[in-house]
Amino acid sequence: MTAKLPKSKIVVRDLNFFYGETRALKNITLDIPEFHVTAFIGPSGCGKSTLIRTFNQIYKIYPHQSATGQIILDGVDILQDDSDLNRLRARVGMVFQQPTPFPMSIYDNIAFGVKLYEKLGRSGMDERVEWALHKAALWDEVKDILHRSGYSLSGGQQQRLCIARAIAVKPEVLLLDEPASALDPISTARIENLVIELKKDYTIVIVTHNMQQAARISDYTAYMYLGELIEFAATELIFTRPSRKETEDYITGKFG
Amino acid sequence: MANASEVLTEGSIVVPRTSSTPPRRYSLADELFKNITRFFAFLVLFLMAAIIVSLFIGALPAIKKFGPGFIGTATWNPVTNVFGGLVPIIGTLLTSAIALLIAVPVSFGIAMFLTEMCPASLKRPLGTTIELLAGIPSIIYGMWGLFVFAPIFSQHAEPWIDSHLGGLPLIGPFFSGPPIGIGVLTAGLILSIMVIPFIAAVMRDVFEVVPPMLKESAYGLGATTWEVVRNIVLPYARVGVVGGIMLGLGRAIGETMAVTFVIGNSHSLHASLLMPGNSIASTLANEFTEAVGKTYTSALIELGLFLFIITFIVLALAKLLLIRLSKMEGKRS
Amino acid sequence: MRERKRELFSIQNRRRAVNLLSQACAILTVCFGLFWLGWILLTLLRYGLPGMSLHLFTELTPPPGSPGGIINALVGTFLIVMLATLLGTPVGILAGTYLAEYGQTGWLAPVTGFVNDILLSAPSIVLGLFVYETYVIWVGHFSGIAGSFALGLLVIPVVVRTTANMLKLVPNRLREAAAALGAPQWKIITMITLKASRAGIITGILLAVARISGETAPLLFTALNNMFWSKLNQPTANLPVMIFDYAMSPYKDWHDLAWAGALLITLSVLGLNILARSFFKQMPLGR
Repeated sequence: MTAKLPKSKIVVRDLNFFYGETRALKNITLDIPEFHVTAFIGPSGCGKSTLIRTFNQIYKIYPHQSATGQIILDGVDILQDDSDLNRLRARVGMVFQQPTPFPMSIYDNIAFGVKLYEKLGRSGMDERVEWALHKAALWDEVKDILHRSGYSLSGGQQQRLCIARAIAVKPEVLLLDEPASALDPISTARIENLVIELKKDYTIVIVTHNMQQAARISDYTAYMYLGELIEFAATELIFTRPSRKETEDYITGKFG
Repeated sequence: MANASEVLTEGSIVVPRTSSTPPRRYSLADELFKNITRFFAFLVLFLMAAIIVSLFIGALPAIKKFGPGFIGTATWNPVTNVFGGLVPIIGTLLTSAIALLIAVPVSFGIAMFLTEMCPASLKRPLGTTIELLAGIPSIIYGMWGLFVFAPIFSQHAEPWIDSHLGGLPLIGPFFSGPPIGIGVLTAGLILSIMVIPFIAAVMRDVFEVVPPMLKESAYGLGATTWEVVRNIVLPYARVGVVGGIMLGLGRAIGETMAVTFVIGNSHSLHASLLMPGNSIASTLANEFTEAVGKTYTSALIELGLFLFIITFIVLALAKLLLIRLSKMEGKRS
Repeated sequence: MRERKRELFSIQNRRRAVNLLSQACAILTVCFGLFWLGWILLTLLRYGLPGMSLHLFTELTPPPGSPGGIINALVGTFLIVMLATLLGTPVGILAGTYLAEYGQTGWLAPVTGFVNDILLSAPSIVLGLFVYETYVIWVGHFSGIAGSFALGLLVIPVVVRTTANMLKLVPNRLREAAAALGAPQWKIITMITLKASRAGIITGILLAVARISGETAPLLFTALNNMFWSKLNQPTANLPVMIFDYAMSPYKDWHDLAWAGALLITLSVLGLNILARSFFKQMPLGR
C-alpha cells in the first residue's frame, strides 16, 4: 500500500509543539503527498491549525511558541534550517480562516507578494495579477475595479482575493486554514472547486471542521484529537472503513 | 491500513534544494529596521533622563547653597541672593487642591450625566464639546481670568467671602482680606474651570467601560440611576476614576499660563487665599528670563526640578493605577 | 401589614428623592461647566472679533500707541510649529512602532511606554527649561529653533502613544497574512500595519499640532519674542508669547491685539481638533 503513495512533499517526524509550557502537538508523524489535497479534520482545539502553522513556520512571529522534531520540505529540515524564513513562506503559501485583504487596492494586494521575490515589468505584473485572479475565479468580478480597495469586496470575494494573492507568488505548497468557515454556501462551493482545480499545480493542505468538505475535496485525510494524530489515510478509506474507533465515532457523529 | 507512522516514502530522502531564483535575503534589513526603531524608543528614555539630569545640574549651585532648607524658606530676595521655595511650592499645591476640590465633583456630575442620563441625541455633541474644550489653550483661560473674571470676582464675590467667611473661627483667616480679585483662590478657580473638561472626559471614558450587562441587571432589579452609579458604576470604575483625577492633578500642578495671569506673583506668605501668591510654574514664567546671577537662575531651576519631581510622582501613581485597572479588566473578560 | 406597606412606601420615596436630587445635581454640574466655558468663548468673541481685520495679516507687531498687525507672530508660530512637528513626528512614529511591534519581549518597551506617558503630561514649562539649559545656553541666545525643540518634545509622546495604540489595533491576522507571503517584518510594518493605521496616526499628529499651537510656557525661554521679522536662529515672534506679553502690558491697543491673537489661536486649535476627529472617523480599520 505504501508503494502506491505519491511522492511526499512534506515529511513530518516526531513533531511536538508548545505554547509556552503547554504541549499542543504530540509526536506527530506523517507525510504530505505532492500534488494532492490533504485534509485535517478533528474537533476544535485538536491542533490541526497549529500543525499547519508549523509548515510555514508562521508561529515564529510570536514569542513563546516553539516546536521540536523534524519537518522536512523537499529534503530540508525547515525546523533546523531557519536561515531564510521569508523565503520559506514564499514557497509555502497560506490562506486564513478570515479574509485578510491588505489596506491597498485589489491589484496591489496581489502585486505585494510578487514584488517581494520577483522583479517583473509593468506588463509582466499585469499578466501575473490577471493570471492569479483567473486561477482564483475572481477575475470576471474585479477586472474593472482593480484599483479599488480590497476592503470594498464582499467576504467571499475577499477570501478569493487572498487565495489569488497566495497563488500569485507561485508557492509550491498551499496551506488553507478553514478557508470557507466564515463564508456562505455559494462562496464555499466556489472555493472548493478552486481547491480541486489547484491541486494540479500545488500541494494543498486544508484544515476544516466540515467533514463533508473534507470528503468532497481531499485525497488524504488526517483525523486529529487533543494534539495527537489519530489516523491518516486516503480519504475514501477514512470515511468508509476507518481503522480506529475514535475516527469512526467522530465521522459518524457520535462524538464531537 | 495506513497508520500515520507507517507512511514512509521517498520524501524522507534528503534531496538538495533547487530554487529557480536566488534567495533574496531580508534578515539584514530586518535587523536594521528593528534597531532603528529600538534606537528611537531608547531616545524617549534618554530624553526623560536628560531632562532630570540637566535640571539637577542647573539646580546644583542652589542646592549646595541653600540645602534642604530651600523648601522651608519663604524668603525670595534677588537683591540679597537669598532664595527659598516655600511660597511657590505652597502656591502650587494650594491652587491644585482648590482646582481639584471643585473640578472633581463637577466632572463626576458631568460624566454621570453623559453616561447615564443624557438623551442619545445629546450624547455625542455634548461629549465632543467637552473634549474640544479640553483642547483650548491655557493662555485663553489666563487672559479671561485676568480681564473678565478677576474684576467681577473682586467686586461681587470677594467682599462677600471676606465678610461672611472671614469672621468664622478656624477657617476665617483663609478667607479674609482685601478684594483684589487676583490671588491664590482666583488661580485655583480658573484652574478648576480648565481641568473640568479634561477630568470629565477621562471619567466618562472610564464609566463607559462598565459592561452594560452589569448596569442593566441592576436597573432590572429596580435600581434608580443614582443607585446604579453609586453601587455599580463607581465601584467598577473606581481605579480608573482615581487615575483620571491624578492625571488632572498632574495637569493642574504643571499648568503655567492659566495661573500666571491671575495668581499675583507675590513671594510673601499669607494665610489668606484672597491674597496674591505664586506657583512654581508662574514664578518660572515671570522671572526666568529676567533673572540675573547664577544663584538666582539656579534657584529657579531648582524650583523647576521640584515641579518635575512632584508631577512625576503624581503621574506615575496615576499610570500605575490605570495599568492596574486594565489588568483587572483583562481578568474580568 | 399596613405598617410594612407604609414602611416600604417611605423607603421608595426616599430612594426616589435621593435619585432625583442626584440627577438634579448632575444636570447642575453640566450647566456649571458649560456656563464658564461658554462665558470664556463669548468673551473671546466679544473682544477678539472687533480686532479681526486685514491689518492683522499684513502688518508687523507695533510699538504701543501705533496701529499694526501680528503677521510676524503668525508666520513665526507657523514655522516653529511646523519644524517641531517635523522633528517630533518621525521620532514618535518610530519609537511607537518599536513599542507595538517589537515590544512583546524585553524590558525596553514597557519601560519606554511608562516613561512616555509621564512625558505626555509633564509640565510644558519644564521642557522649555530643559531646552534652555541644554541648547539656548550652548548657542548663547534664544531662537525659534530652540522653541521648536521644546515643542517637539511635546509632540513626541503624543505621537508615540497614538502610533503604538493604533498599531496594536491592527489585527494580528493581517501580520500573519503578510508574513505568510514571505514578507520580511520591516516590510510588513512599513507597508501593511503602519499603512493600516495611518488615519489614526495622522489623527495623533494633528492632535499634537493642535496642542503645541497653543502652548506658551515652553516658548518663554526658548523662542522668546520679536517685534520684527527674524530668522529661526534668532529670537522669533510667535503668537502665544506675543499674547502673553501684550496681555500683561498696560496698553489698551496691545490688549486688543492680544485678544485678536487669542481668538485666532483658539479657532485654529479647535479647527485642528475637529479636523483630527473627522480624519479618525474614516479610518479603514474602524470597521
